[in-house]
Amino acid sequence: MALTLPAAAAIAVFGTLYGAGARGVMGVPLTLASSLLVFSGALQFALVALLGAGAATLPLLLTACVLNLRHLVLGAALRPRFESGSLRRALLAFFLVDETFGFAIAAGNAAEGRAVGAVTERTLLFSGVTCYVAWLVGTLIGALGGGLAVVESVAGAIFPVLFIGLASLAVTRRSHVVRALAAAVLTAAVALLLPDLRMLAPVVAGVVVALPGGDR
Amino acid sequence: MSPVVLVAIALITYGSRAAAVVLLPRPSPRFETILGRIPAPIFASLATATLLSDGGSLIGGPTLGAAVGALVVSPARSLLVCLIGGAVGYALSALFR
Repeated sequence: MALTLPAAAAIAVFGTLYGAGARGVMGVPLTLASSLLVFSGALQFALVALLGAGAATLPLLLTACVLNLRHLVLGAALRPRFESGSLRRALLAFFLVDETFGFAIAAGNAAEGRAVGAVTERTLLFSGVTCYVAWLVGTLIGALGGGLAVVESVAGAIFPVLFIGLASLAVTRRSHVVRALAAAVLTAAVALLLPDLRMLAPVVAGVVVALPGGDR
Repeated sequence: MSPVVLVAIALITYGSRAAAVVLLPRPSPRFETILGRIPAPIFASLATATLLSDGGSLIGGPTLGAAVGALVVSPARSLLVCLIGGAVGYALSALFR
């Protein structure tokens, strides 16, 4: 679980950038409230961009719907591993973001037999709280005028490394490697040909390559 | 943006997270098999997405070096080793830039 700390540090840096950028378009109270209630970096950065461009309410809500579609897939992939009741799952759901999904899946894969459910849930909760606090602290620093621009480049490098590491942990069969490579190529193609759909490309590609064929 | 819109966006976001985790019944074994194939491609796709600029071109510099470093050591199937590989790749790229 200590491996969540580099991701949390990177999230704090991006939280600072978000806080610094958002306070100008929505004010300090709403900037802090947005991180407290929404906890979604991709969506919050998109909202700031839209508000900065003068967007009205409907585009904001539509953007939230579209960008959040990926949570349905992430949640569906995690659901078979959960064993607790609906109330506990409802609490855990708040902490479902790309990074915590990765940590939970990786920890569940490393666990054996009956422990998979408990380990997956515990990891989602721990990594979720860690990343949530990091996002809030970063937002607070940025909204109050602090800056960590010097480390932005290093923080930006953590995410590809993190996701490559998580992909390697999620691979348990040779066919998974082929599917992962196919998804990467598909994502790059979508980003190049349909840049407006870039945010949805990872989940769409993940689902498309998961459907055909069997497992070897 | 008003506080009401913000609350609506927060509800949409939480609803999307809870929909599958809370409301869906446990999937059938066949569907579970398909769901089990999803994580690796999604992570590979997310890694790819973080390496692309807004225009879809590959970003360069130390970030790409970090990704290459992590990719080289990824057969070790260890997150810690990938982080170390990424750090080495980042440092080498920054050094020879």
